[in-house]
Amino acid sequence: MFELRDVHKIYRMGEVEVHALRGVDLEIAGDGMTAVSGQSGSGKSTLLHLIGCLDKPTAGEIRFEGERLSALSSRERALFRSSKIGFVFQKFNLIPGLTAEANVALPLLLRGVTPRVANEQAQTALAIVSLEERSDHRPAKLSGGEQQRVAIARALVGAPAALLADEPTGNLDTQTGRQIMGILCSLVEDGKTVVVVTHDIGIADSADQRVILRDGRIVEETGCVERSER
Amino acid sequence: MSRNLLRLALSNLRSRRTRSWLTILGVLIGVAAVTALISIGTGIQRAVLSQFEDIGYDIILIVPEGTGAAAGRLGGRLGQSGQTDGGSFSPEGIGQPGGTAAAEQLRDRLAAISSRAAVDVGVLLDDVPTLTEAGALGTQVASVRGASVTGYLRVTTPTQQFLDGFSSVLNGFAIAYGRSFIDLESNEAVLGSRAAERLGASVGSSIDVSGEAFEVVGILESSGANAARDADEGPSGQGLTREISSSGGMATAAFRGLSNTDDAVFVAGERAETLWPSAQSIDVTFARVESGVSVSETLDSIRVSLATQGASGNPVSIQQVADQIQGTLGMVESVLASIAAVALLVGGVGLMNTMYTAVLERRREIGTLKSIGATDGQVLVLFLIDSGLMGFIGGAIGLAIGAALSMLATRVLGPALGVAGFSPVFEVGLVAAVLGFSLVLGALSGSLPALRAARMNPVEALAEE
Repeated sequence: MFELRDVHKIYRMGEVEVHALRGVDLEIAGDGMTAVSGQSGSGKSTLLHLIGCLDKPTAGEIRFEGERLSALSSRERALFRSSKIGFVFQKFNLIPGLTAEANVALPLLLRGVTPRVANEQAQTALAIVSLEERSDHRPAKLSGGEQQRVAIARALVGAPAALLADEPTGNLDTQTGRQIMGILCSLVEDGKTVVVVTHDIGIADSADQRVILRDGRIVEETGCVERSER
Repeated sequence: MSRNLLRLALSNLRSRRTRSWLTILGVLIGVAAVTALISIGTGIQRAVLSQFEDIGYDIILIVPEGTGAAAGRLGGRLGQSGQTDGGSFSPEGIGQPGGTAAAEQLRDRLAAISSRAAVDVGVLLDDVPTLTEAGALGTQVASVRGASVTGYLRVTTPTQQFLDGFSSVLNGFAIAYGRSFIDLESNEAVLGSRAAERLGASVGSSIDVSGEAFEVVGILESSGANAARDADEGPSGQGLTREISSSGGMATAAFRGLSNTDDAVFVAGERAETLWPSAQSIDVTFARVESGVSVSETLDSIRVSLATQGASGNPVSIQQVADQIQGTLGMVESVLASIAAVALLVGGVGLMNTMYTAVLERRREIGTLKSIGATDGQVLVLFLIDSGLMGFIGGAIGLAIGAALSMLATRVLGPALGVAGFSPVFEVGLVAAVLGFSLVLGALSGSLPALRAARMNPVEALAEE
């Protein structure tokens, strides 16, 4: 699904340059879970942002199902995110002024879907994460786990090709974290592609493909070939 | 899509209710001030112009030179009360020492003016064939004694010719009680409504004018001229006419004074000429121009006639007087509206500040929106709608409050401030301009912050703690 060839990412902060990724080559196959792990500052989130088209690589090439993402314009990247990618963040990132249903419906509304259809699909997505009864609650009235489930529903509502989760359990207690990972695993079983950035070794071990980064380089990669063969 | 962004913008406004309302308040105050000042200013202009329309733009006034300030005072303070420094008319005020001193000063000034040769109306009509009719109206300050009060008052002496052709200048000289002059050889007086009330006189009673006993034969209807006069003299137009030094200015002052019929005592011009042949009076001559004839050419002919007669006077058309008043009022209105516009500008700056703060506070939200597929353009539009809505809401409420304020100012505070007798004018153009300008002001104020939001890097925005 995703192909990265000699991808570099350099952040410039004044005269200081930070090499977040240094020549990353990686293939992420579809229909499974890929876990990206590594220490803080190893480039995990940067990798996720690049394949999710939130950012552009400084050098190298990223392809999604053969399409060169690095060649897309700002508007095309936004449309790509809208149609192909669903993001789940560590801090949930829900819009505080909107209800759970409105938050979930938002990606569809930005696409121009009518409010009625968007709300119907939002209800369906909330049912997948078992939160349909909390649809009219604002984020402040929801627990951390519930907020993350709403965020997953928002990521799912547009039927994306891949779900990209950045430390989805990082702000949750162990039990709630397990619930969230259970939801993500069930999505994989339903045929979704999930790429998850995590510090959690247990999550990384349970993934179909595991990528470990250190100082912007891949130091270990397992599972991709087997999954491709499968 | 836009409707969806509008919903989102509305939810943003709701979620920051207090700050949104404070920002809206800034715009609202400016809009309310602009609306109130423009509607009141337009109302005053309309009221003044409608007075001129009632009289007719085909009329030319010939005012004795040097009349300006004296004529203004005749119609203004002294004519109103007989007191020194204005204030309400009261019987107690008449005949007080201060009032007497003021009247004496004015009489001295009038002596200098009236000593000049007056216009001979008959000769004027012969000399200027494009005039269809003409009549003189004298005004003097005289000692008047009523049932229980004595003092100096304005005595207006219209000739029968004047009343036949130009009664509209005296608000139609409409009689409320009694009748008009019948016998021009006897001592008959007609009183303005307020003069009658203050003198304690009624139809059939007797008053004493400059030592002559007069029978009150009629009392005029209340003209509302006080309000129109006061509108010129009050806060909005304080001293306007005194600022005008041209001949038009003198005519304006004289005309404004004459149109106040409520506080005057009227004696037939023919009788006044017989009783007080050497009275210190200002005689304003009114002449009507034939329809379709050039007013400016007629003015030239009148000047020639006056020179030939050796008479003192400056002919001015009503159109010139109206243009002058309208121009001056328009200028005052523009200055006031400009001051109010500064308040509106401050509101816009406040709005911009709020939007910049909102962009900074909502960085993570902007990053989230971009991560779920919002384009830069959608983020831009979202923030523009946000600021435009605040501007529009401020404009709409400000318009309503401005309208209420102008109504309140004219109906409740107006009489106290001396600006009554007219209604504020709300033209469709004003309403549309105010609402449109508020929307544009909001959007413009929000444009730079919105651009900043749209250009924000989503990764950096999401990294915001």
